[in-house]
Amino acid sequence: MRALVHAEVLKLRTRTAAWLLLATLGLVALTIGESVPKVGDPNASVSLDDPGLLAGIVGIGFGVPEVLVVLLGGLAFTQEFRYGTITSTYLGEPRRTRVLVAKWLSLALASVVITIATLAFSATFGIALISSRNGEVTLATQFWQTAAAAFVVMAAYCVIGVAVGALVRNQIAAAVGVLVWMLAVEQTVTPSFPAIGRWMPGGATDALLQLGPELGLEGKLLSAPVGGLVLLGYTAAALTLALLLTPRRDVL
Amino acid sequence: MTRALPCAVELHDLTKSFGDVLAVDEVSAVALPGEVTALLGPNGAGKTTTLRMLLGLVAPSSGTATFGGRRYDELTDPVRRVGAVLEASGCHPGRTPLDHLRILATASRLPKDAPTRVLAETGLAADARRRVGEFSLGMRQRLGLAAAMLGDPDVLVLDEPTNGLDPPGVRWLRGYVRRLADEGRTVLVSSHALSEVEQTADHVLVLAHGRLLRSSRLAALRAEAGVGSRVRTPDPDRLCAALQAAGHRFRRTEEGLAVDASPEEVGELAAAHGVVLHGLVATADLEQAFFRLIQESGSARRPASTEGAGS
Ligand SMILES: Nc1ncnc2c1ncn2[C@@H]1O[C@H](COP(=O)(O)OP(=O)(O)OP(=O)(O)O)[C@@H](O)[C@H]1O
Ligand SMILES: [Mg+2]
Repeated sequence: MRALVHAEVLKLRTRTAAWLLLATLGLVALTIGESVPKVGDPNASVSLDDPGLLAGIVGIGFGVPEVLVVLLGGLAFTQEFRYGTITSTYLGEPRRTRVLVAKWLSLALASVVITIATLAFSATFGIALISSRNGEVTLATQFWQTAAAAFVVMAAYCVIGVAVGALVRNQIAAAVGVLVWMLAVEQTVTPSFPAIGRWMPGGATDALLQLGPELGLEGKLLSAPVGGLVLLGYTAAALTLALLLTPRRDVL
Repeated sequence: MTRALPCAVELHDLTKSFGDVLAVDEVSAVALPGEVTALLGPNGAGKTTTLRMLLGLVAPSSGTATFGGRRYDELTDPVRRVGAVLEASGCHPGRTPLDHLRILATASRLPKDAPTRVLAETGLAADARRRVGEFSLGMRQRLGLAAAMLGDPDVLVLDEPTNGLDPPGVRWLRGYVRRLADEGRTVLVSSHALSEVEQTADHVLVLAHGRLLRSSRLAALRAEAGVGSRVRTPDPDRLCAALQAAGHRFRRTEEGLAVDASPEEVGELAAAHGVVLHGLVATADLEQAFFRLIQESGSARRPASTEGAGS
């Protein structure tokens, strides 16, 4: 299994992946920057002295990386089907569940790297932002909770991404599906119909990251632990489906 | 040189249907170590499907395919036992052949020098650091072969490996395949043209419409082939009509008409119909035997398939 994971890491280390990571950090800056005007605005739902402010900024910063890991996870299989390398991958390891697990592990490693980079980046950015407006920087419990939750969310999302790719196989269909779902469907449903949206993976993630106040959905999301459980439920479902179907399908 | 653990390929009642299409129909055959076994059949005969089932990529509807008695997914270290080149197997265009082979070698815990060794063996050493996206079809085919040889396997499975190779490449491949078999390996190679394997194969499996029509030594097939002829004429349509009327089977090829009749018969027929001939040679090649087999199976099948449609 170590050899398989190593091979998967080699596949990930491409120029495209590096660019995606850079682009993501740029977008993280934009996302946080977009929330700048709201910081310190007397009408904002979160005040400058709120102990949850930094946690909120950091949590908001994960909006883009979440999408990135799902897309990156999706590439793990769709790229192989697109270029026909899946044949040599399965010839090397005909027990396909092992290939699936190796891809999950390699992406989990990648997600840890992305999570650390995003955390460091958005925390620095957030602290600079708050201090520049003479706010009080507090590394409250909530900050650490959100930071820990970010690792869980990112790991869950890469598992879901790999599973989506394994099931859909077609690269464009998988990428478009993921983008439409995460950026359009969830972004519309969660604010408008929180009663439904909070049960979706995105709503559950917002709950786990405790983003209710930042998103103006205070009290409308699930509690953080329940949100976490719902997200893990989706992850388990994706995992099971991929484990069941991948070994049975013909590779043509 | 004989290898330590020779490994025969065995197909036993191998069957695959895709919905209504019966792609492979109860094929049973053996490919032995030290021999080149050719799997021959026209387009759509079921060659690729058979080989993909053998390699565990496609699940058989029924039957088994094994290497020395074990299914592909039951082999320990499959890459060291079996190497394969399949159509539609590829490489990421942004990678170099060396990167591609290194990833495969890493996944299967092969020695670090294996990629450079196989690149040299397949004549790609000079292109090792170019991006595969810039490769020609023939170079990709060689890269596929390099990947198959990474684990120095006992068995080689090649699906139409001459696709995209130029004539020197085809000749090189023939020699390479022959040498691998002479080293004691089992080589199973598919092709749609008998002429391609005529000089290398020891044993021939003829497949059409998913069914195995023949399994025989190449020499036996050659002995049966009988005499045929190859004709060149500026007026092929009239000659074809005459041949048809006389009940001779024929086929248009790049070099002219291949006729399932002796040169004497063809020459007399042409003279009787006043058709000018630019060339007439006797051919004892196997193409005709192959061609006849497939045609016979086609005519034998037609009633069966109408029956199937009616029920
Ligand atoms: N995924 C699929 N779905 C439906 N039918 C299929 C599928 N794959 C193959 N077939 C059918 O199975 C039959 C055998 O196909 P196969 O690709 O094995 O032939 P082949 O001998 O390799 O042909 P070629 O010389 O063109 O490569 C064909 O009739 C083909 O249409
Ligand atoms: Mg084929």
